[in-house]
Amino acid sequence: MTKTLNINGSTFEFVDGESLLEVAQRNGIGIPTLCHDPRLKAVGACRTCLVEVEGQRRLTPACATLAAEGAKVTTDNARIARHRQLLLSMYLADHPIGQKNRGDDELLEMAERFAATPLGALRSARPGRSENVNPYIKFDAERCILCARCVRYCEEVEGVQAITLAGRGSLTTISTADARGLLDSSCELCGGCVDVCPTGAMSQRAGWPLLKSDTKKVRTTCNYCGVGCQMDLVVDPDANDGRGHIVRVDSPGPGTTTNDGNLCVKGRFGTGFVDHPDRLTVPLIRGEDGELHEATWEQALDRVVKGFAAVQEAHGKDALGFVSSSRCTVEENYLVQKLARAVYGTNNVHQCAAT
Amino acid sequence: MSREESQIPELIRHLGGLRTGVARAISEQTGVAEAQIYGVGSFFHLLNAPDVKLRVCQGLSCRLAGSENVLESIGGNGVLASPCSCLALCDQPPAVLNDRTLSTWNDGEVVALDEAALGGAVSESRSDMAIDLAGEPDFSNRALNRALELGPQAVLDVLEASGLQGRGGAGFPAHLKWRAVRDQAETERFVVLNADEGEPGTFKDRAVLARRPDRVVEGLTIAARVIGANDVTIYYRGAFESLMDKDFEYRGVRFHLHSGHGAYICGEETALLEALEGGRGMPRLKPPFPTTKGLWSKPTLVHNVETIACLPEIIMRGGEWFRGLGRSEPGSKLYSISGHVQKPGTYELPLGVTLDELVEEAGGYVGTLKAFSPGGASSGFLPASERTRPLDAKSLAEVGSMLGSAGVVVLNETVKMPWAALHQLRFFAEESCGQCAPCRIGTRLLAEQLTQHLSSGAPLDAVDDVAWEMGEGSICGLGQTAALPLTSAMKYFPEEFSR
Repeated sequence: MTKTLNINGSTFEFVDGESLLEVAQRNGIGIPTLCHDPRLKAVGACRTCLVEVEGQRRLTPACATLAAEGAKVTTDNARIARHRQLLLSMYLADHPIGQKNRGDDELLEMAERFAATPLGALRSARPGRSENVNPYIKFDAERCILCARCVRYCEEVEGVQAITLAGRGSLTTISTADARGLLDSSCELCGGCVDVCPTGAMSQRAGWPLLKSDTKKVRTTCNYCGVGCQMDLVVDPDANDGRGHIVRVDSPGPGTTTNDGNLCVKGRFGTGFVDHPDRLTVPLIRGEDGELHEATWEQALDRVVKGFAAVQEAHGKDALGFVSSSRCTVEENYLVQKLARAVYGTNNVHQCAAT
Repeated sequence: MSREESQIPELIRHLGGLRTGVARAISEQTGVAEAQIYGVGSFFHLLNAPDVKLRVCQGLSCRLAGSENVLESIGGNGVLASPCSCLALCDQPPAVLNDRTLSTWNDGEVVALDEAALGGAVSESRSDMAIDLAGEPDFSNRALNRALELGPQAVLDVLEASGLQGRGGAGFPAHLKWRAVRDQAETERFVVLNADEGEPGTFKDRAVLARRPDRVVEGLTIAARVIGANDVTIYYRGAFESLMDKDFEYRGVRFHLHSGHGAYICGEETALLEALEGGRGMPRLKPPFPTTKGLWSKPTLVHNVETIACLPEIIMRGGEWFRGLGRSEPGSKLYSISGHVQKPGTYELPLGVTLDELVEEAGGYVGTLKAFSPGGASSGFLPASERTRPLDAKSLAEVGSMLGSAGVVVLNETVKMPWAALHQLRFFAEESCGQCAPCRIGTRLLAEQLTQHLSSGAPLDAVDDVAWEMGEGSICGLGQTAALPLTSAMKYFPEEFSR
């Protein structure tokens, strides 16, 4: 039997296990969230998604409340509006606001949407990580709203647990064990913490200060391995005399691509090769003089064919072996083994990610 | 959380606290991620500051007794001292915690308190009271045997007839909790004793543990047998260590003793369960309630020390008898009273006595009554005109306060209310777990705004809004009530807040 509940006067179907937030989102009813991420367990900590459920005295977090048959839910009324505005105003009081270093800050966007202004200003500082030495990720404790998306992502999605909520009360912060640098922790520098952070407290060392409007997003497929992760290159189109430059890599939203919004250190940060001066752009063949010389693809492939044939002639078919790269897709791997078996007659074929 | 993880706080303690390298050492030993270990250790004050030897209570009653001067004179000579939150020794201020030994400051010296001293001043022994703190401990197990004869259903009926409500602060009917646990399909169940007493002004549980451990053990055994649990866990605050035993088995029930490591919030039952499982003591979302998903996600009966201590006499003398002990609500009640009274202590009186009656039991007022806090810091302040209001849940709720833990602090004419409110606010700011923004930011906002008001006359214009949002938006009771000391002081003593 279909189960239904009522949100803001309209009836909606749901299946067991869905949260109020999921039912609302599926039906286009906007409920603001900061600590929510569909990949993570709901914790109801940011308090922005509080709604009213009939029969309950207290406001309840939509993210952590399961839909129930016949429930009557209100997502917007005077009480909820006041709550949202005041809550955001309190967040703002504990949050530095400067247009210059704004970046993508969901909190500031939300505050604007709900017309929230800072309620006083807090002076006491929170401690950052003292020796946070790593090439890619930096943490600005003052921008952190302690939604713990990063901590939970690191544990629940990556299984790494490099960071934790540390300290207590207003001194709570995000830290590694003994506040060491990330390179001296179990961190794999996947950058997921940067991606899930709603305020930019976790950010990339490079490329952050650019405002959204100055950049262009280009969806592409990561070519580091065969998984086929989708990624969004954030490009500064004016750099390199108009040829553009990748300032950072974002992952598409969770649930939208095969990689579910996840990337690894290579895909997220390893873009330096793209316009690196040492990058090979044409084949090189070593000449009689011992030096490498530019060549065409025809020349290069001819050289390979001749070399393989010479080895086979001198030592037999099984003197050749083929190892394909982990960067190859499954189709490319198929072609490599076809080449080995059908063309060169050997079963010596391997894929480097197989062991 | 795994059972291994539950050992983390103790392991940190045994390695001398959260020093550099300790998290890694424990990680290598247990396989638990070192960041997680660090996160847990950094949460608890008795673990995260390994060099601090002495802690001086800055609770309201201790401040009235000059504890800030103690803090100044106590440190030095290589001994590191730091301020700390209420130590549940408000009847013998100023309180000092020496490592984990509860002590007082006497003639310039830290004096450790023995079990008798920790019992504190109490009512004279009266056999017509449920707990009778001054009575002789009785280990005959009469009530337990009686309960076993009666059988679980009859005990539950007695409990319902008694009208016993939780004595920790929330006042939930005890029999409903017991039935909720007993009715679960899951057969592995737990009893947890909340002995993490920390509400400023409250020290009754300390008195019960020191004077009537018999009542506690017997009550816990009865509870375990009735709800079908084989294991009882006693979570006591670190400062009570000298009163506590090691794990033991009693009448077929295993008792597990677990020391807290310095976090007021762990008196909140779900935060306590988190801490027991080895996590950061941050309250869980409710529902689910512990009766359905408590310790290790099993049905769990969590009770305050005083609630459990009422059980033996309820079983022996019947529910009607207990109900009849109260004046306006069922039962006799332990009131902790401190501040400006002659004989601070723990007094057992009919539930619903007035402040004047309570103070008479405590030897009378010191000076002229100006205000009082009826049920711990969370209950805010009431003016002297409320001195004849019954100190019960309903009557205090009518004036926006609460009975809470019945930790009464009396303030006389010498006390300035903004000063008193500021100390309560600082307490909550210090003890907020930091999980949710309304509490984490709100407590600090209020304390800073009041500080600025007192130093420069800055207006207190954000107080109403912040207090409202803390009440609506906070996850647990700490944040929901933490603004009350300030809002109630401003309501009843407005003249002290305008310059």
